Amino acid sequence: MSNITHGGHVAIVGVGQTHHARRRTDVSQAGLVREAVDRALADANLSMEDIDSIVVASGPVLFAAVNQPEKWVVNAIGAQNKPVVRVTSGGGAGFAGALAGYYQVAGGFAERTLVVAYDKLSEGQLQYSISTLYDPFWGREFAVGIMGFSAAYWRARMDALGHTEEAAAMVAVKNRMNAIANPYAHMKKEVTVEEVLASKPLCWPIKLLDVPPISDGAAAIVLASEKVAAKSTTRPAWIQGIAYCCEADNAPERSLMLSEPLAIAARHVYRAAGITNPRRQFDVVEVQEPYSCFELNYYESLGLCPPGQAADLIASGATQLDGDIPVNPSGGCMGANPIGAVGIIRLIEAATQVMGRSESHQIKDAKLALVQSGGGWANLRGCAVLSA
Amino acid sequence: MLAAPDTQAIDLPTFHSVIDLPYTLTPGRATGTFLAEIGNRKIVGSHFASGKIIAPAEDFSPDDGEDVQTFVEVPHTGVLEGYTKVNNDVIGLIQLDGCDNEFAHIILADFETLAVGTRVEAVWADGVENSILAIKGFRPAPETPIGKVLPLGKPANPIEVIPYAMKLDYEHAYGPYYGRMFDEIREFGRIMGVRTSNGDDALLPPRERDDITHKRTGTWKACEDTGTIRGCSIINLEFIGQTRPPPYVYAEIVLDGASTRLIHMIDAESIQWAKDNVRPGSRVRAIWTKGERTGSLRDIERFELIDG
Repeated sequence: MSNITHGGHVAIVGVGQTHHARRRTDVSQAGLVREAVDRALADANLSMEDIDSIVVASGPVLFAAVNQPEKWVVNAIGAQNKPVVRVTSGGGAGFAGALAGYYQVAGGFAERTLVVAYDKLSEGQLQYSISTLYDPFWGREFAVGIMGFSAAYWRARMDALGHTEEAAAMVAVKNRMNAIANPYAHMKKEVTVEEVLASKPLCWPIKLLDVPPISDGAAAIVLASEKVAAKSTTRPAWIQGIAYCCEADNAPERSLMLSEPLAIAARHVYRAAGITNPRRQFDVVEVQEPYSCFELNYYESLGLCPPGQAADLIASGATQLDGDIPVNPSGGCMGANPIGAVGIIRLIEAATQVMGRSESHQIKDAKLALVQSGGGWANLRGCAVLSA
Repeated sequence: MLAAPDTQAIDLPTFHSVIDLPYTLTPGRATGTFLAEIGNRKIVGSHFASGKIIAPAEDFSPDDGEDVQTFVEVPHTGVLEGYTKVNNDVIGLIQLDGCDNEFAHIILADFETLAVGTRVEAVWADGVENSILAIKGFRPAPETPIGKVLPLGKPANPIEVIPYAMKLDYEHAYGPYYGRMFDEIREFGRIMGVRTSNGDDALLPPRERDDITHKRTGTWKACEDTGTIRGCSIINLEFIGQTRPPPYVYAEIVLDGASTRLIHMIDAESIQWAKDNVRPGSRVRAIWTKGERTGSLRDIERFELIDG
């Protein structure tokens, strides 16, 4: 990873997402993807003819029972005969897709790459499908998606790092509040800390209001080289660093207190982007919080605060819309959670911030944004830095 | 010269696993309209601005992704463009009259009597709706005149949701490490791991490579059936595929003598009881399943708190 700064500069020059919904019965998976792609191409002032290559990203095939959906998707977006790959990495699928697209443009193999990510979660059985990422011999029959696992390590972090139920509830309250202004979100309801704490335990300590909705949605970005970015926009969002790392699944030294792969990814990306004081330097942060407790974990793993101080950080108000380091002004996953698309949605939200184009929740003068995403049962984590 | 290693495949028992999933699929507007009209014995196609007609209907042109312009009713007759035999069925590619694409369906004829270019017509099934199987298949019809594409008029509302199910059977190979671990569980009721490359703690499940040092792992070691909870959560939701009724505790347990996690369950009288009594650091013991052991993690029925 030492060479991540050696490629050409890559920018996000166009973005598009669907209006996410609990269930879209009016479109197929391919139709959903088409909507996001049409919007991203229009936003980038381009047509499909201008695109050199395509990356399709989506979650596990079991989510919606179509194997190799990219063959269906390329038909629906008019990308016949172009180079196409599908990337899948659980919840991090969209982000991993963006990374695959980034490599193509940074490496000089494409001037413009379209990355489209989606999931249509209303079609299948979410927890059961996710449980199949467990070893069939060793634990799958006891798996509860990633919820059982995520709650178990939140419980452990309560003791070790003070990530209390109240602190996570504050995350849920903040993100749900922010989602109300997001035109693409479908879960728009203000809640209080008390309501989160009193909501039904699903996998205690995870309670109903700690959990994002289940969504159908798609999101697309156009990545462009320095040479052609200006054709699309006078103010692209430049990718100053991007990385996605893994850790061993059941290794003896896996602590699960900090997210080790995320900390490693952040170290690489911060070095590439010249970040030495993330709390002070970033204007805005977008993280993928499959449950409220994860956002606390990411504050620490991304270095926004030292380990053990995430509860203080959320309580201080610093990560609110008007704080010094707003996290998820879009509402994050609490507004909509089409899992495979979320990595791209977070990139879009951060990109529009540094492009100065977020209509509903623009952070004033945002110039530098941090994005986090991840998949697997916490063992695949990545981040990216975007700048004006 | 590269010498092939002297290894052979060995037939050994496998681990049977099933993934059984219900779905509610969304066909979208074009396919939904096709499915809605097929019960009326109408075959709906898509007419694109380019002039092409695709049947069954699709939302986007397979040529260039163009949006559908209008839906049309296409003839029930066409030409066989290719065919093959699958088990006892003949499957053919049919291009309906006036259409620009082929699609697969069953051919109701002896394989030997067919030829590419044979004229065919649809045979309708009785009482089937919302499925392409409302057409039972296509049969040779040498004399049938070439049909015309017609306007559809006002199409039925598209079908929005199609129930579907997928049951997938797998036979997983254990491999030498899992194989021995489960043999030991079945034969002797003991849980064996392998030592790390540089220490005495066992890795569970056993593996060939040490994740940390990337060196070969060490010798086999029996772990205790007691251990310490590293992480736990209280399951109170119900979901398809669940193997026991909630509430219960999902626990990641490090057995005494091991350094990695084993996932299992602890019974919970109530959520409150579990909150008060089960926590990281709690000591637990395995309760073995009564009767003959099968050589799987199910041979442990559950874990329970020691002194809990």
